Amino acid sequence: MKKNIFSTNKVQLLIFLLPAFLIVLLFYIIPIIITVYVSFTPMRNWNIDKYFNVIVGLQNYNRLFSLITRDPVARQVVMNTVVFVAITLAINVLGGLGLALANFFIDERVSTGFRTLWLLPRMTPIAVYGLLWYYFFHGSSIGMLNSIAMSLGLIKKPIAWGQEVIPWGPWSIIIIVNGFVGVSFGMVIFYSALKSIPRELIIAARVDGASNWKLTTNILIPLLRWHLLFVTTWQLLSLLTTYAHTFLLVEWGVVSRTYGQTWALYVFNTAFGRGEQDQGLAAAAAVILVIFGAILGWITVRALGFNKMITKPKGDI
Amino acid sequence: MVSVRLEKVTKKFGKVVAVNNVDLEIEEGEFMALLGPSGSGKSTLLYLIAGIYKPTSGKIFFDDRDVTNLPPRERNVGLVFQNYALYPHMKVFDNIAFPLKIKKVPKEEIRRKVFEVAKLLRIEHLLDRYPGQLSGGQQQRVAIARALVKEPQVLLLDEPLSNLDALLRVSVRSELKRLQKNLGITAIYVTHDQAEAMALADRIAIINEGVIQQVDLPEVVYNRPKNMFVGGFIGNPPMNFVEAGVEYNETVKLIVGEDSVWLPQEYIEILRKLKLQKVVLGFRPEDVLVLKDERQVEPGSSVIRGEIFTVEPMGREVLLTVMIGETMVKVYAPPTQYYSMGDKVFLQINPAKLRLFDPDTTIALEYLVKT
Ligand SMILES: Nc1ncnc2c1ncn2[C@@H]1O[C@H](COP(=O)(O)OP(=O)(O)OP(=O)(O)O)[C@@H](O)[C@H]1O
Ligand SMILES: [Mg+2]
Repeated sequence: MKKNIFSTNKVQLLIFLLPAFLIVLLFYIIPIIITVYVSFTPMRNWNIDKYFNVIVGLQNYNRLFSLITRDPVARQVVMNTVVFVAITLAINVLGGLGLALANFFIDERVSTGFRTLWLLPRMTPIAVYGLLWYYFFHGSSIGMLNSIAMSLGLIKKPIAWGQEVIPWGPWSIIIIVNGFVGVSFGMVIFYSALKSIPRELIIAARVDGASNWKLTTNILIPLLRWHLLFVTTWQLLSLLTTYAHTFLLVEWGVVSRTYGQTWALYVFNTAFGRGEQDQGLAAAAAVILVIFGAILGWITVRALGFNKMITKPKGDI
Repeated sequence: MVSVRLEKVTKKFGKVVAVNNVDLEIEEGEFMALLGPSGSGKSTLLYLIAGIYKPTSGKIFFDDRDVTNLPPRERNVGLVFQNYALYPHMKVFDNIAFPLKIKKVPKEEIRRKVFEVAKLLRIEHLLDRYPGQLSGGQQQRVAIARALVKEPQVLLLDEPLSNLDALLRVSVRSELKRLQKNLGITAIYVTHDQAEAMALADRIAIINEGVIQQVDLPEVVYNRPKNMFVGGFIGNPPMNFVEAGVEYNETVKLIVGEDSVWLPQEYIEILRKLKLQKVVLGFRPEDVLVLKDERQVEPGSSVIRGEIFTVEPMGREVLLTVMIGETMVKVYAPPTQYYSMGDKVFLQINPAKLRLFDPDTTIALEYLVKT
């Protein structure tokens, strides 16, 4: 009898887990295996027939290593990535939190419109949204930033912000563009978490004498702890791997290639970019990125106590 | 400690009038129960006093100080909720200390006060735990401690005991009453459990649909309800209502079906003044004598006949549902008799305890002539 129940449970388990497992296998595990494999081949220009069966060991990794240590462009990629991820992450998390809190304290009717506004960058197709910033930061006088700054008399000639103001020009642009996309994620998560805090808790804090500020620091933020951890880890990992917006900005010349290229974009450009395409090297760079992401993810999970978030089941069932 | 006075207070949420033109005064040190059905505006009234809501119109005074526009933190009230509303991320100590911390009370003094109030509520041994590690009764003590630690001018309790089991509820409520009297604190206690209100309160305010129906001593509310709502809300089971005609002759009597009900002198005079043709007769389930045989009826007493509809043995007595014509009434009978469905019974009504109401306004007749 006991055995019977056990086996049904197993079948049920399988049925529930199978779709997710297939998806992970198809879109995650197999590509990873292929990528790792390719990183050990001298694959270039998609010449699969010629290179797929040639194993060159760690050659690509050695090349990557010497590029990073010797080639200023590759070294700049690392620097770009560190600055981009760190600052954009801070903007995403703190900005999202700030917006969620602002929404929480203002009138519900106003805040709905306000939230939709912030979701626009995420809802807009990447190319359209990129085009918006293209015109905003454009290096000639048609650029909105230039025309505003000139009409205010701050500058005399138009400035190519992403090409001339080095390195903070291109950095600021990719941080701003990606930052605007990212804040809405934190905002939505934090806002819904704030809304689910029992009303009585907030009333109790008010009656206990808490001002908006005290309420925020003593009650709301501590209660958002898990959401903060989640958003931080999630955004960290997605910022490490995102490149779509940056790709367009670089291609359109809004941002300098040297100072706008992050690791993820470097992987993409190496594999698919103009000129000679070096998939072997790109695969090695991708593998390093995945390992880095995994380590950083693991560190945040450890450092911030994420494992406690996966709560024990309530009761023994 | 202060007295609390509400003057013509109205609170609207959009089109919903949650609290409607309420005049209410709670005296210094008084324990007032606020009793009413769900959605009647009890919590809203408390939140108005606490300053969470601003009245749409009207004024609120603590003693002679107009607090209508003061935020909660300038009112110094303690508030206890049905679901405790303890801060889940703070230990019990920090929960209780929170209002003092906000007020920037020195650390040493906070410690002293927290231990003092924890001792009072016998939760000293729990100070190091998180709310999630406490039982419902313990959480409620912590919530009360947090409300008391700031030595509030007014203590507001919003159904604080309704999440506790019946036994615990009775013990905590007597403790609460003792505490309130010892501290001499002005308290308003919201409940929809009328037994709790009767047991605890100095006075009871009954509210329905945002309107205060009656404010009186518990026994007055019980024995002389101002209107049919109050009579029908208080008591378990509540007051019975039977429509009756009035016959004016050398005396005045009521006609229920084929039966006559004699009235006490007080009501005869009132009826002669009001000249009503119809009234609603109200009587409580325990104020009738249930007789199975017409021969047992005392001569000259008022008897209404009916038929037993259901029989519910309750241990100490039997609760009978009796049909009088089309109307159902509930009465208590001693368990010494055997009753069964369909039996004819005679309900002998204690004339001193019967109440008469105006069917149009539902107001008790004695209150009609007073005003
Ligand atoms: N914030 C609010 N917004 C809109 N309507 C509200 C709000 N708070 C209360 N109401 C409405 O006001 C009326 C009174 O509500 P209130 O919470 O005061 O009732 P209550 O007597 O405390 O009921 P209960 O016994 O169920 O707690 C209800 O009709 C309710 O729907
Ligand atoms: Mg309520």
